[in-house]
Amino acid sequence: MKIPSRITTSATRHATAQPWMLPLILLSSLALTACDSVPNEPTVTGGGSGSTAAAYTGEACNAVSTDPNTVEDICNFQTEFWAKMLDASDCENCHNTETGSREPYFLDTAEINTAYGQMISRNLVDRTTPANSAIITKINAEHNCGTPTECAVLATNATNYITNWLNGGVAGAGTGTAVNEVTLTAPAIKETGQSKNFPAGAAPAGFTGVHNLLTQYCADCHTDSASVPQAPFFADADADIAYDAVVTSQKISLDIPQDSRLVARMDEGHNCWDLATGGSGNSSVDQQAILEGRKNCAVEIQLAIEAFAGTIPTTAVPANWVTSKAMTLLDGIVASGGARDDSSTIALYEFKTGSGSTILDTSGVGVPLNLTLYGNEGTDYSWVGGWGIEFHTGSAKAQANTQDSRKLLTSILGSGEYSIEAWVVPANISQGDANDPARIVNYSGGSGERNFTLGQAEYRYAYMNRTSTTDANGEPTFLTDDADEDLQSTQQHVVVTFSLTEGRKVYVNGVDVATTGNADTDPNTTIGNLTGWDPTYAFSMGNEADFSQPWEGKLRLVAIHNRAMTPAQIQQNFDAGVGQKFFVMFSVSDEVGDPNCFLASAITTSNPRGEQCFVYFVGSQFDTYSYLFTDPTFISLNPALSPSGTVIKGMRIGMNGKEPAVGQAFINLDTTLNATDYDATTGKQVLSNVGTILSLEKGAGADEFFLTFEDFGSNQDVRTPAVCGSTMTCTTTAPTPPATQAPRVGLRTFEEIFVSMSEMTGVNPYDSARYPQQKVLKTYYDENAGIVSGIKQALPSTEDVSGFLAAHEMAVAQLAIAYCDELVEDTMLRASYFPGVNFGVGVDAAFPSSTEKNQVVSTLYNKMVGIGGTTLNNMPSEAELQTELVGPDAGVAGHPGNLFDRLYSSCAAAAAADGSCSNASATRTAGVVKAMCTSVLGSAVMMIQ
Amino acid sequence: MSTHTISKTLATSALTLVLSAMLVGNAQAITPEQAKRIHDRLVGTPPSAACLSQLTPLSANAAAIDAINDTGGSDNCTGTDFYRVTLKNFITPWTNEEQTVFAPLNDYSATLIGIIRDEDDFRKILYDDILYTGPSPSGLANSNAHYKNLEDTGADLQAVLTATTQSAVYPGIAPAGIFSTRAGAKAFFVDGTNRAMFRFTMMNHLCNDLEQVKDTSYAPDRIRQDVSRSPGGDSRIYMNACIGCHNAMDPLTQSFAYYNWIKDVDGNPNTDDGFLEYTNGVVQPKNLINANNFEYGYVTEDDSWINYWRTGSNSALGWDGALTGSGSGASSMGQELAHSEAFARCQVEKVFKAVCLRAPLETADQTQIDAMITTFKGNGYNLKQIFADSAVFCMGS
Repeated sequence: MKIPSRITTSATRHATAQPWMLPLILLSSLALTACDSVPNEPTVTGGGSGSTAAAYTGEACNAVSTDPNTVEDICNFQTEFWAKMLDASDCENCHNTETGSREPYFLDTAEINTAYGQMISRNLVDRTTPANSAIITKINAEHNCGTPTECAVLATNATNYITNWLNGGVAGAGTGTAVNEVTLTAPAIKETGQSKNFPAGAAPAGFTGVHNLLTQYCADCHTDSASVPQAPFFADADADIAYDAVVTSQKISLDIPQDSRLVARMDEGHNCWDLATGGSGNSSVDQQAILEGRKNCAVEIQLAIEAFAGTIPTTAVPANWVTSKAMTLLDGIVASGGARDDSSTIALYEFKTGSGSTILDTSGVGVPLNLTLYGNEGTDYSWVGGWGIEFHTGSAKAQANTQDSRKLLTSILGSGEYSIEAWVVPANISQGDANDPARIVNYSGGSGERNFTLGQAEYRYAYMNRTSTTDANGEPTFLTDDADEDLQSTQQHVVVTFSLTEGRKVYVNGVDVATTGNADTDPNTTIGNLTGWDPTYAFSMGNEADFSQPWEGKLRLVAIHNRAMTPAQIQQNFDAGVGQKFFVMFSVSDEVGDPNCFLASAITTSNPRGEQCFVYFVGSQFDTYSYLFTDPTFISLNPALSPSGTVIKGMRIGMNGKEPAVGQAFINLDTTLNATDYDATTGKQVLSNVGTILSLEKGAGADEFFLTFEDFGSNQDVRTPAVCGSTMTCTTTAPTPPATQAPRVGLRTFEEIFVSMSEMTGVNPYDSARYPQQKVLKTYYDENAGIVSGIKQALPSTEDVSGFLAAHEMAVAQLAIAYCDELVEDTMLRASYFPGVNFGVGVDAAFPSSTEKNQVVSTLYNKMVGIGGTTLNNMPSEAELQTELVGPDAGVAGHPGNLFDRLYSSCAAAAAADGSCSNASATRTAGVVKAMCTSVLGSAVMMIQ
Repeated sequence: MSTHTISKTLATSALTLVLSAMLVGNAQAITPEQAKRIHDRLVGTPPSAACLSQLTPLSANAAAIDAINDTGGSDNCTGTDFYRVTLKNFITPWTNEEQTVFAPLNDYSATLIGIIRDEDDFRKILYDDILYTGPSPSGLANSNAHYKNLEDTGADLQAVLTATTQSAVYPGIAPAGIFSTRAGAKAFFVDGTNRAMFRFTMMNHLCNDLEQVKDTSYAPDRIRQDVSRSPGGDSRIYMNACIGCHNAMDPLTQSFAYYNWIKDVDGNPNTDDGFLEYTNGVVQPKNLINANNFEYGYVTEDDSWINYWRTGSNSALGWDGALTGSGSGASSMGQELAHSEAFARCQVEKVFKAVCLRAPLETADQTQIDAMITTFKGNGYNLKQIFADSAVFCMGS
């Protein structure tokens, strides 16, 4: 970004001259005149052949010399002179060790260092006056360069090539070291004006007239239901949708209706509805159109907009506010664009067009490599405010034809290295994958072969580059590290470079990804050359040529360089930023209260009081929906000002007569202009290091900004923050009572079940001395070598009774069985728990009558249901339990479905069938008791709390 | 039970005094069904026969306290599982990002259990230099084994937990309640940007997720550089959503600037290693990552914090006028949160739901919540009391 100063002279740009104090490595010493005496000179038809340069495979320009200045000079020689002369002339047919034997070999295609050495050692170049170089003199002498006219053209071009070589880049482009200085001058002073703002929400009633015209005349295209929908859809039959489209796309100017985009398009004759009919049918419209010499469709919609604007009240700045003077963004001084290093740029896309289906190459180098946009504007792609293009769908791509695309191949093969630079905003971090990245910038012949691709694979940038050591698809792909998440769904600067010495490198936001986080390395460890590049491929953006790999997101700048950019150059371009920036200067001369804020000698028509004191921001359109304001700085253009204790507090950025509620990052500003922080040399004091964004309302040319202050000098407008219950009413809505009363009971949860069963059975599962096998504990939870088992997490985890599942029931049963097993197998515990039960005999002997059976029921009831024999009204009675477990006292016949009898008869049946069970066994007695215990323990009497 | 701060007798007396005015009628003996439900809800188990007999003659309030306090000797209601089961499972979901109740006992949960057991000021959980351990603790800074072993062996937490200080156990860290516990740090200071610690504290202890306090009107000047102002290239998302939480969250989360969880020291992600790192005076790099997402964002230079929610719509959270609303470090920020009305209400509502097994949505529930908040604040922020009060309210007829 340019550095602003208050120098009172006009803006200047200082191109930094290159020092050429070169310790030259002379490779040979041969006379230029040798060429003159060579017989059988090749037939020269004038000018260069223009043929595609063969890929350079020799040593890199930085491979021989260790002196950085020499390396830079050789590399500049290669890209600016050598490569271009190969293209523009036929000198290489002789002055080249590979094709001829005419010294000097200044266009040697085998080794760039040889060519350079010849150029220097033979004094072919005049560094002071390139036009006086020996080689130019030779061309001017019409030495094998065609007709005199053709030789003159070549001499001019060659002189330019030498000049660019010596200057380190194309004249007029950034030199890589130039720092541009912007002079800040007082802007036209404007008071904060009254402004009209679109009512938020639904379409206001006054919009009806405009809406009627739009739906009547524009609906064939500008609706989403049109056969070829054209965004924005301001002709939608739904007035609210149409209104929203008009507002967000800024098609109407309420303050100056004639400036509305809708009116301008009609004036341009864009599908004017009156042309076919010869008149609007409205005589006043026709008359006004005739009077003003305009199309009557334009007048008709302008009148409708004026009527609409008439229904919108103006918003005025309250009188008590302490305000600066007003500015629009475009009133500011242009701040950006000059500090980029474009010395090796061969194609540049800044996306400034703003509409249409062509993306222009603005590099100014060679034949413009323009791209054609495919898909529908507005739905598949859209232009981005503040410069950029956004790809929305897989039907979008931007592509050049293969012939134009050869510009890249020709130039890059000449240097053997290149860079792809892009400012991108990926729409998401889920598109693309490692095997098939989404294509951001692409030079390919289809989904399976390419020269290069910059792509996205989720959080990773993907760089495919075809070399002699990769396959035709440029694989293996260089992917940035997955865990580093170098790609973010936000605006980023990404540069990928290839050179014969360093291979592929990836830089994100100026940083080599190999130096941050996990090491990102090129999986292709053998650096090849570009000899295999195919001239029949097409250059594209946002998709593969066959639409197979779309990339969604925004491109705000793309540049192709025929050099591997250096880290310093990349950092410089990152620092330069992207998009158009302005110094937006708000006069605060009145607020400062110092007579030096007014200078009689600075009085102009636009600054009638000679105002000199400002707070400026660097402002830009951040994206389609917002502005970015950064670097708030106080500046005095009058060096005589010497602030001493001027307080600035509570600064807000106003817009269109009001203070936007969101984005006020300087509310808490509390600073003082004083001698300590104020730089008398520059006249500046930085107010804050943070920036903010504000929502765009009417557009960069229409939104009027101003500053307000709670305290500036002696001017105060103190705002007391609102506090609930004091200066603002904050009502909390009471929860809505449920339609039906919530259950008053719930389930016991997993661990409550575990300990409740322990309480009910008397088994302490943690007592490993008594229960060395820990059957209960291991049934519940076990962990062995990191492997977890047990039914703990299969038990209910919440109390909600409606969430009780069959799986829960199974887990409860398992745990109950484990507890009852431990209880009955514990001879001491069972003796005290089930007094009177003889566990040493078979079932018949243990339960000779209902008395013994009822004793078990009684025990279970007292321990688990009616605790301690207490009758609990919300629990089953002992009689009910008895019925279920052993049947009523009347005997087996009284309740054949009881548990005891079912167990008895099932065992008897098994005994008769295969002898697998025996009611005479003491084991069976224990089993019957365990079953009765389990049926109670695992029932709702335990589960419900 | 030597660590109990007050005896059952004192507790019963105090409880009777506090509740007598608002719960008239509960001074009478309770039914066995009510006694069982009080015990069920607080302890998680049905009472033993002896315990049920002990509770039934008591007033509801006294029975509730009796059920969860073990005074030793002839006390038949030990209340062991109130601490070992009910409180542990009440607290455990707050200690991990998955909010699972199946996570093991840890220093976060054990400390809160200890504070409740000792009827200490529950607000301390967000700022105090306090920690509870079991017998013979060792290696606490680098492992949770001590606490897991307590759980695996069914230790009676009511009996074995002993109060100590974090500064004694975790040397070099700035103690700040749960923020500087090992479990809290492991869950919420791991990776990322430490904002998780703030968000989960808001959810767990102020009962508000960020969505509920979203307000885009606060000044965005402290939103860090890593927050994209144009996610996916659409700044409307930031202006309508992101800014509404980050504007106040980032300046509060800045209090965690010196904390970081060092994970996988042994290189094995499946082991329970790692420790809390505190770099006094040096901002952890995680606070400065992704700076190029918005280079004009706020750059964290220290651990100073400020509470923008003291004004505007979120002043409804009820901030303590005796505090300044700004400071340095996690402890003072935690105190700012803990002293809010929202904190007190949140704790009471959580206990109500845990004991009554339903959200307090009915009119009578809301009245009870308000009464218990008053009790909570007027009784030294003793959360055990709120458990008892909730059990009485939901003991049934």
